[in-house]
Amino acid sequence: MASLSALEEKEIITDILEIKKDILKMIYTAQSGHPGGSLSCVNLIYILYKKIMNINYDNPSWKDRDYFILSKGHAAPALYAVLSKIGFLEREELFTLRQYGSKLQGHPVKNKELGIEVSTGSLGMGLSVGVGCALAAKLDGNKRNIYVLLGDGELNEGSIWEAAMAASHYKLDNLLSIVDRNGIQIDGSTEEVMALEPLAEKWRAFGWEVIEIDGANINEMLEGFKKAKNILRKPTVIISYLIKGSDVSFMEHTKKYHGRPPNEEEYNSAISEINRVIKKLSEG
Amino acid sequence: MNEIYLRDTFGNFLVEHGKTYKDMVVLDADLSYSTRTYKFAEKFPKRFFDFGIAEQNMVGAAIGFAISGKIPIVSGFSIFTTGRAWEFIRLICHDKLNVKIITTHGGLVGEDGSTHNALEDLTLMSTLPNISILVPSDNLELEKMLHYALTSNGPFYVRLPREGFPKVHNKDYKFSIGNPDVLKNGDDICLIGIGYGSSLALQAAKELEQKYEISVKVINQATLKPINVKEFLSCIDKINKIVIIEEHNIYCGMGNILTRIISENSPKLIKILGVHNSFGESGSRVSLLSNYHLDLKSLIDIIKDMI
Repeated sequence: MASLSALEEKEIITDILEIKKDILKMIYTAQSGHPGGSLSCVNLIYILYKKIMNINYDNPSWKDRDYFILSKGHAAPALYAVLSKIGFLEREELFTLRQYGSKLQGHPVKNKELGIEVSTGSLGMGLSVGVGCALAAKLDGNKRNIYVLLGDGELNEGSIWEAAMAASHYKLDNLLSIVDRNGIQIDGSTEEVMALEPLAEKWRAFGWEVIEIDGANINEMLEGFKKAKNILRKPTVIISYLIKGSDVSFMEHTKKYHGRPPNEEEYNSAISEINRVIKKLSEG
Repeated sequence: MNEIYLRDTFGNFLVEHGKTYKDMVVLDADLSYSTRTYKFAEKFPKRFFDFGIAEQNMVGAAIGFAISGKIPIVSGFSIFTTGRAWEFIRLICHDKLNVKIITTHGGLVGEDGSTHNALEDLTLMSTLPNISILVPSDNLELEKMLHYALTSNGPFYVRLPREGFPKVHNKDYKFSIGNPDVLKNGDDICLIGIGYGSSLALQAAKELEQKYEISVKVINQATLKPINVKEFLSCIDKINKIVIIEEHNIYCGMGNILTRIISENSPKLIKILGVHNSFGESGSRVSLLSNYHLDLKSLIDIIKDMI
């Protein structure tokens, strides 16, 4: 996987910004949801679906697909918006988020048509599920890779470390976990609430290959995924340093918008801010 | 009680049918010798996965196996599996996944004591939608249940004891999920058992008829969920006195569930024989059953009071 050309990179960044506008509109329309942690990790989800995972854009439940598990289920708006961008979901449906009767619940629910493999939302469960998928793929000789996106706050859960131990015990090189290391959880900074550092050392001590990337740099992210695919006989974690509420200045680096929707003024301001960046990109 | 342990029947079943059920994988949490899944591990090592003492991750991995097309059998002790990993089991039920949770050491385990007893597991499981809950009363019924669970899609919880139960079925027995299994007809009182309760009820019925000329109907209700309500109610229609026998805390076990079903239909006098809001303690199984009034004498005394 070669680095992206400047043009491709610009296109992808623009796509991500457009998706971020959808996320904000969904949460604003619903007047509930989690903007901070959706904006932080949406670039990871988009790159996975667009550039990394082996999927069939015409058939979300294609049998040989790679699996994606959004363990940090509160980033559901980011997942839904990406699924719409790649054509698994009509864009209009996005704005039914969290409404009664909508297939887009506040946290993701298993749905074959959308390629959502398992319901998530209660934190700390996705990595164990990934371990089972990875073991099953090995047993069947299936080349499938399993990608599990974890929040950094959810690393507080003990079950994550049970799964981490099992993944290295069983040498699951088809399992890749990605940590959205935005540093903020509901009650405050991860280091104040329940210190995670030294995080990379923890994963290494559990037998994982650790790759640290600047999650805002698309080429660095692609390089990280490429490296991960070449690691054999052990699982890999990509610790991706990201910004909570990224690209909306007043939502960045704060716990305030973890689970709070923008009001009308905030929403308009956020959209204008992203539009300015898109305009600047198109002119540059 | 020198009958074959139900967990041995379980372990042998896995070995005998490992080839039939090709997608079956077996997961355990460092208890494979106690649960007897080691028998499967020896015969089919590639399809056996030990997760160490980590029930949450074991059940979470079962979810991953199930969404990859496998049929995971999850085993362990009843209280550790259903208690520690409850929220993962909730997710299995939420997503209607094809996972079979088959635990041993349900009920009063004996010498290991209160921390190892499972007197709450049926409550923990019965509150979950989409799961089928089965409690065998003897080895034959267990075998029939295992075949049923493996050929049916969706989550199952099958609760085995540590030891053996006396035989209550003959070889023609057909397991029918949800339906009451009439072990004996009678008119004066109906005893409804689950697991150990069924053989105890049969024993009591014989003694009551011989010594006191009381005509006793005995039902083995091996399915806690789903219950065929219509069939169940018609089965007890003409009898107004009922005793339900369960090796479980009486708060929200089988007794509680059946009492709701019965009382919504017609008034009857119902007593529940089970453990009264206790965790139990160490002791021989015989002494525990007697202490918690789950023995033959206690059952007969209750019935004599009711008649």
